[in-house]
Amino acid sequence: MTTGTTGTTDGTVAGTGAPATGPPPGARATGIPGATTAGAVGQVLAGGPGTGRAALFDEPSCDHNRGKDAAAKRAGCPTPTPGSAAGGCSFDGGMITLLPIADAAHVVHGPIACAGNSWEGRGTASGDRQLFRHGFTSDLDGSDVVLGGEQKLYDTVLAVVRRYDPAAVFVHSTCVTAMIGDDLDAVCAAAAAATGRPVVPVHAPGVVGSKNLGNRLAGTALLDHVIGTREPAVTTPYDVNLVGEYNIAGELWDVIPVLHRAGIRVSATVTGDSRFADIAAAHRARATMVVCSRALLPLARGLHERYGIPWFEGSFYGVRSMGDSLRGFARLLGGVVAERVEQVIAEEEERTARALAPLRDRLAGRRALLYTGGVKSWSLVAALQDIGVEVVASGATKSTEDDVDRIEELLGPAGRVIRNGSPAELLRIVAETGADVLIAGGRNQYTALKARLPFLDVNQERHVPLAGYAGTVELARRLDAALTNPVWEQVRAPAPWDAAAPAPIRAAS
Amino acid sequence: MARIVPGTHRGALDPVKLSQPLGAVLAFLGLDRAMPLLHGSQGCSAFAKALLTRHFREPIPLQTSAVTEVTAVLGTGENLLAAIDTVAERTGAQIIGVATTGLVEASGEDLHGLLSARGARAGAGGPLVVAVATPDFEAGLSRGWAKAVEAIVAAGLHLAATGGTGGTGGTGIVDGIGTGSVRRTGPARGRDHLLPVLAGVSLTATDLDEIAALVRAFGLDPLLVPDLSGSLDGHLDDGWSPLTTGGTPRALLPALGTAAAAHAVGVTTASAADTLAGAGTAVTRHDHLSGLAAVDGLVDALRRHTGAEVPADVRRARARFTDTLLDAHFVLDGARIAVAGEPELLAAVTTLAASAGARTVAAVTPTPDPVLGTLPCEEVVLGDLTDLQDRAAEAGAELVIGNGHTRATALAVDAAHLPLGLPVADRLGVALATLAGYGGGRRFLTELANRLLDHRDRTPHRDRTSHRADDRDHAHRTTTAPHPTEESLC
Repeated sequence: MTTGTTGTTDGTVAGTGAPATGPPPGARATGIPGATTAGAVGQVLAGGPGTGRAALFDEPSCDHNRGKDAAAKRAGCPTPTPGSAAGGCSFDGGMITLLPIADAAHVVHGPIACAGNSWEGRGTASGDRQLFRHGFTSDLDGSDVVLGGEQKLYDTVLAVVRRYDPAAVFVHSTCVTAMIGDDLDAVCAAAAAATGRPVVPVHAPGVVGSKNLGNRLAGTALLDHVIGTREPAVTTPYDVNLVGEYNIAGELWDVIPVLHRAGIRVSATVTGDSRFADIAAAHRARATMVVCSRALLPLARGLHERYGIPWFEGSFYGVRSMGDSLRGFARLLGGVVAERVEQVIAEEEERTARALAPLRDRLAGRRALLYTGGVKSWSLVAALQDIGVEVVASGATKSTEDDVDRIEELLGPAGRVIRNGSPAELLRIVAETGADVLIAGGRNQYTALKARLPFLDVNQERHVPLAGYAGTVELARRLDAALTNPVWEQVRAPAPWDAAAPAPIRAAS
Repeated sequence: MARIVPGTHRGALDPVKLSQPLGAVLAFLGLDRAMPLLHGSQGCSAFAKALLTRHFREPIPLQTSAVTEVTAVLGTGENLLAAIDTVAERTGAQIIGVATTGLVEASGEDLHGLLSARGARAGAGGPLVVAVATPDFEAGLSRGWAKAVEAIVAAGLHLAATGGTGGTGGTGIVDGIGTGSVRRTGPARGRDHLLPVLAGVSLTATDLDEIAALVRAFGLDPLLVPDLSGSLDGHLDDGWSPLTTGGTPRALLPALGTAAAAHAVGVTTASAADTLAGAGTAVTRHDHLSGLAAVDGLVDALRRHTGAEVPADVRRARARFTDTLLDAHFVLDGARIAVAGEPELLAAVTTLAASAGARTVAAVTPTPDPVLGTLPCEEVVLGDLTDLQDRAAEAGAELVIGNGHTRATALAVDAAHLPLGLPVADRLGVALATLAGYGGGRRFLTELANRLLDHRDRTPHRDRTSHRADDRDHAHRTTTAPHPTEESLC
């Protein structure tokens, strides 16, 4: 799903050719108007001419990728080791990127496991509509695998539209439906025609690779099918897009007011607390910030190439990153924003420093082991250093070379870059460095707890907002709470009967 | 006697269904020093692991064969063998439980041939490999659990028949995919005090505690297969382990081959019970062990089996339960309950609720099972949570029982919510909810009554007219029974 289909301007997404007028007749061989028989498999698994791996793994805006030769690019990402692998798949990545669009429905075309095991599992938040809390799936059975699941998918999309009236529907392919060759594009086109709203195919089946690749494929789907299909009701010279911001635990709501004070208007977020129409009109923004997601660089690059929108990479984690990001916007937008930004930064930093002062004392000398992925592997290092915590090591298993350079720069010579993130390895590093707390994703929560080590969740399942100036204070507060809770003393002390026998009392001589 | 009807949707809108591989993984997690291994894309295990981790609030051992787009086309067998070797080497697992996924089943992999070939190659001392074919596009959680338990039992019989000690000297591969029945070769012998209890998918660690305590009360030693009460009961060990830290020990699996009698609890043990019975063991089957009649059935069977009198503490537990029935019936009489879950869980919940006079007005389950026809409600829908919501609203349900996703259902119909089943990520302790035994029944009925009372207390204008099914707006405010509140007690 890299080229070949483009969004049409009437708001209806046509997969290929003319929109179909009726439901697909079930068997894929009977020919839905405009259907291609290759479908998802042709594009994703085999990689047809011009749409294949070479194009997918070429990213001119990424230094890491530019440094690869042709063979390395063709090879794509490193493959996971059977029996010793962790982390999600491309379907997971695609869902992460698109799910937060609060008024869109997501239909998973596959057997039950893909949706059944994952729905309602994200920490994303939104104001009014919350369609992402539902799980919709075509729930394929054995006969669908033999005969094709297209009709069932079509029926499911229509049932979802009838019951929930979403602004748009995203249809996600999965391993099995990619393997059996269901024509997602054709079903989406037919369903779009029948429902009168965008039905967008997302070709990121799990088997094609990592979560990051799924993020990227979802970004491509937005670029090809959504962005540029609507015009905004209002525009200002200071409209911006945030790309890769998912409003985990509502943390975006701590950032937007600060941006506002600097004169910046967030017109579209990809995709935290977003609405479909805002993203469809993202092509009218004046600047894009890529927030903590290298995998969505192609989306920013596409916005630049197609619509001339300049972009920069930044992070909202920590005082320094917030300042850098605000200045990044000032550089691209100029005008009022450039005039205001330094004053906003000064005021916010002063206020944050006041709030942090008592916490800083309590956190002084505390050592943290950080294990997270991507941009967060360095931006959170900076955030933790901002609150006076020493970061003894940071994980880089899901980071690019560029991220690693920044980690090394921030940590200094004493810091470690973790390349193997197995629980046993993390605990070994904790023991060696004397770390007081593990800061990581939910997957490692019980690694820490079973070792009687305080833990703070910083990944997408968390319920604590950590972004912006307010989030930095919250980070300090939560860390302090995690470290000083009375449970640690209790669970670390042996039971009285297991404690070493006290030294025998000697008679004074 | 319930009638089974299909749901509204061909697909699923807010599914109740969970996948077959997940059920198999869960069963394998009830084995000691074990590693479940999903043969599929790495996302298959990442999602399953995340779900189970959030539900149990425990580290979940689970690995993947990490099938990629290239191996999916060219053949995934080498991935699986490499994964087994890697797990064996790096973790020292005693048992590796392999469950396949839709991805590899759609491409038609010959798992049985593959594992047999490996078994011939592997020497002694390696992990016991138990494998099941569990495509996600067939059946669901219950069937996956059933297949895994059946394969575990077959492995025990195989070890017994081949003289495998089941300890580190035991070898090779037993898979539930191509094996026929295993007949006992010698006369039944072995430890008379050991009583195998095959455990169904709906039994929690504390349910198993209840059952085990009843068995022990008669001087027998329960061999729970599988045993989540040893592995996923939420205990703090001496450190972190990559493997399960409790469960059915491999060394005891061969005892299945020598047991004269056994009990099978839950409809998801039916096929495993058949396998065990086929080897000559007398298996007593229970659809569930919830409610007075069912628990009495087990106790009576144990009494007859051992010839012992029913011990005083068992009589006492029964007396507490019957007293709870009396106390709770004021609240539960006529209470309208909506419930979603696996067939076995529905059987336990509806039986207990009905035993105190509550009515199950909406019941939704993901997959068919013969037990559904016996449930004490009018209708069971093979559907999703929209089916549950629509029927609960229609019937004016006061309490919704189901996994964490059903909290939204309860909110939508303005009913109380009791989290039960898998997964529940947003509340603590549901992995240790107890419905089995006299003690489980007592705790569950008390919980049920208290949730209803809390809900009725929160409802501002209490109206004591009897419920009219067509009056949805007032459905949640009505009741057909007086409340034992302070006013009515005074």
